[in-house]
Amino acid sequence: MRRPLALALALLGCLLVAKGLYIPAKAALAQVLLERAWVQAQAGATDVKPWPWADITPVAALLVPRLHERAIVLEGVSGQAMAFGPGHMTNTAAIGAPGTAVIAAHRDTTFRFLKNLAIGDLVTTITADGQETPFRVVSMSVARADASGLDPQAPGPTGARLALVTCYPFEGVLHSPLRYVVIAERERPARNLAAAL
Amino acid sequence: MNRLKATALNPSHAFSCFYVFAAMFAAALLLAAFSNIARAETIGCGDGLMGIDEAGTGTLMLRTSLPGRFLPAPRIATDVKVDISGNVARTRVTQRFTNPAEGWAEGIYVFPLPDTAAVDTLKMQIGDRFIEGDIKERKEARQIYETAKAEGKKVSLIEQQRPNVFTNSIANIGPHETVVVQIEYQEALRFDQGRFKLRVPLVVAPRYSPPATASLVSCESGGIGLNLSDRVPDREAFSAPVLRPETGKINPVTLAIHLEAGFPLGAIESSSHKIAVRRDGTENAAITLENGDVPADQDFALTYAPASGTMPSVSLLKERLGGADYLMALVVPPVGAAHAEQKPREAIFVLDNSGSMGGESIREAKAALLLALERLKTSDRFNVIRFDDTLTVLFPQAVGATAENIAYAKGFIASLEANGGTEMLPALRAALTDTTPQDTTHVRQVVFLTDGEVGNEEELFAAISSSLGRSRLFTVGIGSAPNAFFMSGAARAGRGTYTNIGDVNEVSARMAELFAKLEHPVMTDLAAVWPTGLDSEAWPNPLPDLYDGEPVVLTAKIPHAAGTLTLSGNLEAAPWTQSLDLADARPATGIARLWARNKIASLEDLRVRGGNADVIDKAVLEVALNAHLVSRVTSLVAVDVTATRPQGEMLTTQKLPLNLPAGWDFGKVFGEEVPLERRAGVTLPPALVGKMALGNAPSPVMVPEGTDLMLPQGGTASTLMLILGIISLIGAALLLRNRKEARA
Repeated sequence: MRRPLALALALLGCLLVAKGLYIPAKAALAQVLLERAWVQAQAGATDVKPWPWADITPVAALLVPRLHERAIVLEGVSGQAMAFGPGHMTNTAAIGAPGTAVIAAHRDTTFRFLKNLAIGDLVTTITADGQETPFRVVSMSVARADASGLDPQAPGPTGARLALVTCYPFEGVLHSPLRYVVIAERERPARNLAAAL
Repeated sequence: MNRLKATALNPSHAFSCFYVFAAMFAAALLLAAFSNIARAETIGCGDGLMGIDEAGTGTLMLRTSLPGRFLPAPRIATDVKVDISGNVARTRVTQRFTNPAEGWAEGIYVFPLPDTAAVDTLKMQIGDRFIEGDIKERKEARQIYETAKAEGKKVSLIEQQRPNVFTNSIANIGPHETVVVQIEYQEALRFDQGRFKLRVPLVVAPRYSPPATASLVSCESGGIGLNLSDRVPDREAFSAPVLRPETGKINPVTLAIHLEAGFPLGAIESSSHKIAVRRDGTENAAITLENGDVPADQDFALTYAPASGTMPSVSLLKERLGGADYLMALVVPPVGAAHAEQKPREAIFVLDNSGSMGGESIREAKAALLLALERLKTSDRFNVIRFDDTLTVLFPQAVGATAENIAYAKGFIASLEANGGTEMLPALRAALTDTTPQDTTHVRQVVFLTDGEVGNEEELFAAISSSLGRSRLFTVGIGSAPNAFFMSGAARAGRGTYTNIGDVNEVSARMAELFAKLEHPVMTDLAAVWPTGLDSEAWPNPLPDLYDGEPVVLTAKIPHAAGTLTLSGNLEAAPWTQSLDLADARPATGIARLWARNKIASLEDLRVRGGNADVIDKAVLEVALNAHLVSRVTSLVAVDVTATRPQGEMLTTQKLPLNLPAGWDFGKVFGEEVPLERRAGVTLPPALVGKMALGNAPSPVMVPEGTDLMLPQGGTASTLMLILGIISLIGAALLLRNRKEARA
């Protein structure tokens, strides 16, 4: 009785470990392929797919120069999209457009760097049409998933706002009702900044 | 039989069985982990509970985990006697516990003391007998307490939870019995702006502790457990039930102060309570509360000043103990000698608008902040940060103090309301983020207005000292019972100073003192040179910078008080020195304990800044045991010799409820009837929350209300799978090994 039980346990263990390693590996690989397709699309190529059976739509590139982080943002926050990269919530403002755009990703894969963001950090988005928008991190907070205070219509003081969201606590393992929310406001054009000061 | 069954299965059948088994195994692991937690959190229910209608009048009833069942709470009355001699105060706190119930009770009372108090004496009075407490290592004292409690003996244990928060546990108070406990402590009074300040804290305000994080871990035994990674692991120890204001106030306090100043007395004032002062000659006075007793719901504050021009600029006291002289020096540097023009300032104002600031406090804080803004000169720069569990930085970076910018900031401040939790770390980080660290044209000052009601003080101190740079941090304590340990500790780590505002009427006077400190040059590089050839040990070490109106205060241990002590410092490049002849020291008592207390405080500062915890723990233990002081690692315990509770009688444990501090808004802190999962200080997975028993003590609400967007789940199951997988492999390895051993 002991031996089959031990073997079953060993097999279960191997499967779980493999699956546990597979999830972040898949996300990392997907980002590499997504980035390659993105660069080709920006260079003018049409109908590029990161991999032949891809059924996801990249909408923007997200860059954090200080942390040397970048990610390709996908449309939607379905489990499928978020397995590959950060997802843009479809019911929020378009990235860089007036209002608040919410981008969510997993704390243990593509948004692992979120905890290192600091106030004043530059976050740049480049949308599919080549439009580049600089944002400046102004605050971070912890909120319940259903009480974040985020309003997709709220334009913030500079007209466009970005909310980067991931699960909180960062080192947690189980599902958590809390989210870590980083708010970045669109950088004012230089002349407006001078006038504001 | 088993073998037969196994061989009878065909391969595909076996495979599906494997999945069933795997699912069951995982479920069992999770259940085991969760049920353990549920058990640990379940509150035991013994005898002595009653329905609300069974209680007599005037009895405070505590809710229990059984709906509709209540327990009469032990009651407490406190008497405080303070003897002040020069700048040293000796205080005796007498706590009288009464058990109104029919059963035997254990009372746990969370009470505050000054953050500089050296607690050295515990006495328990039973009838007309006094039992003196012993100082023991914390764990040993707890062991003695638990043993005596189990044996039915009366026992009292004083434990330090924070340098300014203590608990007194008293076991085996008989039905309708009263037990009296006396605690004594010594402190050196703060001298600032020409006045001595005595503060007797009377209530521990509810604290906000950042939520703990729960994660699954594997145990050494091969099982699985929940790891609660908690930045405030002792949150339970210093939280107590808080009475709703409509219940009325409890815990009456009487207070008497005997003052022997040693110099002709000027004004004697209290900003917190109405006092009656009876003067005895020019140098002595007796002070009592005008209205007899008061509820323990706000700190008692007393200031006394020397009659103008009579204050000696040097005070030197000594105590000879165990073959050494202990010295305490208080030196007031001359004012006005080098009042050079100070550089322009870059002032960063941080306002805490969390729920605990609701009511009176937020009005004080706003008034103080508006005054500070008006005070800025056009050459200054400023920024405003407000925080609760969220954070707003008003300008992207510090801006010039133009009329337009100040008007904008004032509008912003006026619109603020107090709500939410106190997530202080992001606010501190934002305030200390210096975009121009090389700038030498401006002095960078962070003014932090808060009540400091947080439980993660040490984490904050560490963050301050590591990211301070050229900034200096000035804390402004707001409200009737601010957390003095946080205020002074943060100011010490931030190389600034702290100010207390206890009342709206005090705002302009206290802020004027703060402005004097902010706008005048600071005395830096303070050093003390002791007589050569003598083995001296002085604390605090290093000496803090001095702001306008502050004296040098230091304590030292030296074989013989002889020779010359030279103090030196720099006041904006102008050197200052002063020499003291140690032979002039006046004898006094308790100086050795103040020295020990200063040494412990300096050691604890080192630990927070990342010193070797084991080495420091040992050093603190040695000092505390020698000086008979309560500390983080030592406790006082007093045990009666005879057992009084008959074997077989139940003992019920109650945490004594505390008043809501004066001026606080209950709804802002606790919310109105919030559901349990929102009250819980620990953030647990939803599956767990449902299993937890309802506790008595509501914890501060940590999450803002209102629902808008439902944010998606932001974590994968990969780590969980890895953990479960590794556990399974370990389990398999263990099984196989056992099998081999069985064969052998």
